[in-house]
Amino acid sequence: MFIHVFNGLVYGALLIVMCSGLALIYGLRRVVNFAHGSLYMLGAYLGYTIATQTNFWVALIAAPAIMALLGVLLDRFGFRLLQDREPLTVVLVTFGLLLVIEDVVQTVWGKGNLSLQAPALLNTSIELFGTAVPAYRIAVIVVGAAVALGLSLWLRYSNIGLFVRAASTDPTTTAMQGVNTDLLSAGVVGLGTALAGLAGVVAAPFLALSPSMSSDVLIDSFVVVVIGGLGSLAGAFIAAVLLGMMQTLGAVYLPDAAAVLPFALMVAVLLWKPAGLAGSRT
Amino acid sequence: MSITRLLVPAAIALAAGGVFAASVGSSTVLSLLTQATIYAIFATGLGVLLRQNGMVSFGHATFFGTAGYVVGILLQTKAMPAEAAMLIAVLGIAFCAFLLGLVVVRVPGIAFGMLTLAVGQMFFLTASRSRGLTGGADGMNIDWPSTLFGAEVSALLKPGPMFALCWSALVLILLALALLLRSRFGAVTEAVRDNEERARFIGIRTLVPRALIFALSAAVTAVGGVLASLNTGFVSPETLHWSVSGVALMMVVVGGTRALWGPALGAIVYFLVKDVLGDYANHWMAIFGIGLIVVIVFAPHGISGALLRLASGRAAAKSGAGTAPLPLTDRSHHE
Repeated sequence: MFIHVFNGLVYGALLIVMCSGLALIYGLRRVVNFAHGSLYMLGAYLGYTIATQTNFWVALIAAPAIMALLGVLLDRFGFRLLQDREPLTVVLVTFGLLLVIEDVVQTVWGKGNLSLQAPALLNTSIELFGTAVPAYRIAVIVVGAAVALGLSLWLRYSNIGLFVRAASTDPTTTAMQGVNTDLLSAGVVGLGTALAGLAGVVAAPFLALSPSMSSDVLIDSFVVVVIGGLGSLAGAFIAAVLLGMMQTLGAVYLPDAAAVLPFALMVAVLLWKPAGLAGSRT
Repeated sequence: MSITRLLVPAAIALAAGGVFAASVGSSTVLSLLTQATIYAIFATGLGVLLRQNGMVSFGHATFFGTAGYVVGILLQTKAMPAEAAMLIAVLGIAFCAFLLGLVVVRVPGIAFGMLTLAVGQMFFLTASRSRGLTGGADGMNIDWPSTLFGAEVSALLKPGPMFALCWSALVLILLALALLLRSRFGAVTEAVRDNEERARFIGIRTLVPRALIFALSAAVTAVGGVLASLNTGFVSPETLHWSVSGVALMMVVVGGTRALWGPALGAIVYFLVKDVLGDYANHWMAIFGIGLIVVIVFAPHGISGALLRLASGRAAAKSGAGTAPLPLTDRSHHE
């Protein structure tokens, strides 16, 4: 029982890192980024290459940094130019981007599965409540918690965090108050993309690298942000842990229905509250 | 627009399809075009939803694939003739989609897209995992009887007749949609799409028309699914996968929805381009991804929109009115 709850927490932590990026980008640009799963995959593969050339810790820093740069470019030459278009149009552009990234990854790294070793330091197991659990997975939970806590504190207490919250609520008024919302958006989209990359690198040692890794996580992340309320970080954190638990506990106790459970939950939540659990805006 | 202006092109298109099927000998060309036509029907269904409801579905493969499964399962039980099974598949899916539509069309904007994605993925996973009824991930063969609508199935499945059948279905569906949408129902759904609140103010009930459009869209897509199951004699969970919905959506966007025939054109362009790419087809995702972005950014109304603009520009020049800009009624989406 404990090990299943533990694994649920691990997957939940990964989803937290993914979904905080999705929610941040949605908050500022009102874009549901269909390419987010592909960015995660790209981050994982970049991390794989960097880790095999140097070591895991370099990859953990370098891959998200490269992804952040990519995110800033995406905002500057993508979302910013399209900000007056209908939201659905921009969604379709991100869908086009998804196809391009998938192809790039398959061309560069091939279609087979790759695997990355956990760093030596974490490649042990630790006794927890009488069960031996891999240290690496504990580290994943720590990363997820750190991202959740760090983002919450940053948004709550820093000046830039205040601007981000203001721009998410009303970009026009925020711009009139003298905040450079374009610069802010570039930064936030960069951060969101870096978080997708970070999730990819973190996931690489415990989920296999394959070209199909993006769609599984993308759909789970969508379920999370929709259940939590689009653009709401707190909602996404709660929904991520909930979904992680549901996935692992469901796979053990309700194997027939496990795959469908998250979607059933999403459908139920949307019908009950179309704006999601924490969302007042859609 | 008078009815003759619809009937004449439809008759010409039907005749052209028949002549084409009879005169083209290459079965590769014909089966490519048959597949393109089937997807054209699928895309037409998806396009109706976007055109009349302003909603983007990322889960329409559900209706496409389920239609094949319903036919397959009904034929397996041997409870009814194949013709009835095909009809039940389309009507049953339309009815279920209507009930589903009453609920899901309330969900606004992009959340609708994500909801349809989730529902679609639910069907995909269910079909992949339930071994008994659907054959699980391996898919199921569909045992068609030896005669269908009085014709020998083996003769019907030859490339020429199959193409003629699918092409006729496409033309008749487009004609039926054009006739339906020029009625009051079409006007009502457009009013609801453009401004649901205002439509309510003038006394239109908005929920039922939107659900009906959702059902109509599903029914057209289901016809495509039934034809696909006839064409291949096989249905697998792959037809339910969200990437199929994505590809269909791509056809709709590339074709454009301003004209009813836009999505169908998009589907045919998609298959022709994919065929022309040949050896480069391994990279179709990147090529189509870039193509999709280019179309959305530079030609938001797709190929059909560009063609319409060209045609109306020429007509205006002929009548001496100069090239007056088209009244662009951009759809307003409220979040």
